[in-house]
Amino acid sequence: MEEEDEEARALLAGGPDEADRGAPAAPGALPALCDPSRLAHRLLVLLLMCFLGFGSYFCYDNPAALQTQVKRDMQVNTTKFMLLYAWYSWPNVVLCFFGGFLIDRVFGIRWGTIIFSCFVCIGQVVFALGGIFNVFWLMEFGRFVFGIGGESLAVAQNTYAVSWFKGKELNLVFGLQLSMARIGSTVNMNLMGWLYSKIEALLGSAGHTTLGITLMIGGITCILSLICALALAYLDQRAERILHKEQGKTGEVIKLTDVKDFSLPLWLIFIICVCYYVAVFPFIGLGKVFFTEKFGFSSQAASAINSVVYVISAPMSPVFGLLVDKTGKNILWVLCAVAATLVSHMMLAFTMWNPWIAMCLLGLSYSLLACALWPMVAFVVPEHQLGTAYGFMQSIQNLGLAIISIIAGMILDSRGYLFLEVFFIACVSLSLLSVVLLYLVNRAQGGNLNYSARQREEIKFSHTE
Amino acid sequence: MHGSVEHSWGWGHSAPSPLLLLTLFLFAAPFGLLGETTRQVSLEVIPNWLGPVQNLLHIRAVGTNSTLHYIWSSLGPLAVVLVATNTPHSTLSVNWSRLLSPEPDGGLMVFPKDSIQFSSALVFTRLLEFDSTNVSDTAAKPPGTPYPPYSLADFSWNNITDSLDPATLSATFQGHPMNDPTRTFANGSLAFRVQAFSRSSRPAQPPRLLHTADTCQLEVALVGASPRGNRSLFGLEVATLGQGPDCPSVQEQHSIDDEYAPAVFQLDQLLWGSLPSGFAQWRPVAYSQKPGGRESALPCQASPLHPALAYPLPQSPIVRAFFGSQNNFCAFNVTFGASTGPGYWDQHYLSWSMLLGVGFPPVDGLSPLVLGIMAVALGAPGLMLLVGGLVLLLYHKKYSEYQSIN
Repeated sequence: MEEEDEEARALLAGGPDEADRGAPAAPGALPALCDPSRLAHRLLVLLLMCFLGFGSYFCYDNPAALQTQVKRDMQVNTTKFMLLYAWYSWPNVVLCFFGGFLIDRVFGIRWGTIIFSCFVCIGQVVFALGGIFNVFWLMEFGRFVFGIGGESLAVAQNTYAVSWFKGKELNLVFGLQLSMARIGSTVNMNLMGWLYSKIEALLGSAGHTTLGITLMIGGITCILSLICALALAYLDQRAERILHKEQGKTGEVIKLTDVKDFSLPLWLIFIICVCYYVAVFPFIGLGKVFFTEKFGFSSQAASAINSVVYVISAPMSPVFGLLVDKTGKNILWVLCAVAATLVSHMMLAFTMWNPWIAMCLLGLSYSLLACALWPMVAFVVPEHQLGTAYGFMQSIQNLGLAIISIIAGMILDSRGYLFLEVFFIACVSLSLLSVVLLYLVNRAQGGNLNYSARQREEIKFSHTE
Repeated sequence: MHGSVEHSWGWGHSAPSPLLLLTLFLFAAPFGLLGETTRQVSLEVIPNWLGPVQNLLHIRAVGTNSTLHYIWSSLGPLAVVLVATNTPHSTLSVNWSRLLSPEPDGGLMVFPKDSIQFSSALVFTRLLEFDSTNVSDTAAKPPGTPYPPYSLADFSWNNITDSLDPATLSATFQGHPMNDPTRTFANGSLAFRVQAFSRSSRPAQPPRLLHTADTCQLEVALVGASPRGNRSLFGLEVATLGQGPDCPSVQEQHSIDDEYAPAVFQLDQLLWGSLPSGFAQWRPVAYSQKPGGRESALPCQASPLHPALAYPLPQSPIVRAFFGSQNNFCAFNVTFGASTGPGYWDQHYLSWSMLLGVGFPPVDGLSPLVLGIMAVALGAPGLMLLVGGLVLLLYHKKYSEYQSIN
């Protein structure tokens, strides 16, 4: 709630400016909060940027937080339930290539952000309406629309960050945005079940209407994000006027023909990425019932443990980022992360040990992997192909998530959680195999992937010489 | 209720672990009736020549050096007497006139008497119904306000001979209340499908309990009866013989393996004394649809066994005929479903299975497919690291030698 107050204050602070839109700005006379060249103003913008993504991250995991309720009220099995996640991923298989293009060439960053925020809002509202009218395909359609906005909004958010903070506090800003995203997911996991029970008490019965209303209320976060998008657009335009700052660009150049030039290490990185993430996100999507059924957790405790991966990721991502930056040796860190994930899944599958241990380990390894894996792409791809490589990586990650979500649901319905875990273990193992192969290929080719930070400095130094 | 129970297919089958087989073998010697892998099973309806048709089903499972007798009857409440003997030649003798008399003691006997290693009985006394409308706590006991129960002693049953199926070794007792003033059972019935097995296998229908030749499966199905409330939960009251002054215990076993009953990680066992002895085994899950699946799975609650003193249990003539009148009964309730989630109200269907047997209860092992995937999943990266490391090491050595000469 405190954040919301801050939000309100931030908007109020923007309010008076709105009034004197027509008047010519007098930069020297502006208070710090309203002066785009001052830190205080940038912090205000940062706050808006963080809340820009909050809504979409909050609503992305709504199905996971309400798994039992969705399945019961809509009378769907797990396979159909997981379609809600698959439908989110499908549009992004394609949009990952075009998000940057749309922002740079078609809409511009400001309108792009607003449009993607609208997609997120409309998607969530349609999703909720599907619940209210008890029409499951409408819910799926809602998730599809939501997906169109969701990932592209993340691209827009990063573009804003670069445009406002480049050469200043950029890494910190990226870290904070990521943390905010994780906080959104965590709040969702722990709030939605409670909200559902309150609505249920209010209406007197559970059912699809209760579900729909709960989701509709969850959609308020998307409206908040839309308001942030509007405020950001205004402030950005104002900054352009005052500082003669250029409109932010993703600078992504996507050339699909570049794909044929991708090297073996890059393909291995793609495989690691897909095989790793499909064993994390669909698991979290299905995790809540696992913890209640296998470990006898209460609904609230299950929500809490299911969100622990995000909770850990919020503070640990910057820490691990620093660690990997300082030490280098990316492949070894990736190897550690994947191996730890394997161990964590094995603990969940084959032991009755307290699952907090395994989930904390999963959270740590997930954060470490993100910090060590994604920068590796930059080492194996020439700079002009970087946009294509990252777009491709996100695209196949979404493709993998869409397909594996459906398969995971089918496995769970027919063979249960043990088999599902074994399936995830096989995925992580494939990822591990690719890491080992990447290490060997890199060694054999004399690649730079596993250099320590000092070696990298030396090489950079010798190049500049 | 005549759904075929197929033998499990291919890799779905899982044999008891070697350790278990070893312990079975070791214990088998003194106890004399355990660990038979195959049995000759025969089902026989014992006719009553003297009067009206009575359902008395004798399942005889003969192994190399033991015989199991399951005597099922709907005389009085539905009941089963389970007798294990250490000879392949033991026989059942029925004295109908005594069995149907008010003092049925001795009406049912297994000869030779000294070959009996274990005997016990289960009596299904009442069908319970609760109104769960205002219950939010799913673990509440009782699960709601009880309606007057249906006494199974006052049910009329079909002629068991008609439902006897020698191919699947099964028979079905199907009944409804004799007096049904509110006509709740006008289109409904309560059925007990009994099935014996000649070897170890696993049915295709959930909960897919692993059965052996030493077990007999009971599948209870309530179909089409009108519930008396919108959110009626049903339950079954089961009585059994206490061994000595204490009641047997229901153990809840937690397992990591839910491959055969998705999302059910628990197995409940009623043990009549220290192992090996008789047991009843079930997964705490019932299904509100046929065929059962995860979306129609209802959680089951079994109450602890308590001495049946609170009210006079309906007497089963066959239990009294075999065990005499001096017995203390213990009773427990199994209730199916919770106030939220799927329930009987969905399709007016409910099914629940249990195994009844002698010896060590069957234990599920990890399926070969799971073990195979794990072996490959863990082996492949390790092997790759080993081979690749060796290759690189040799390559590196050659390379450094070359450099040193240089």
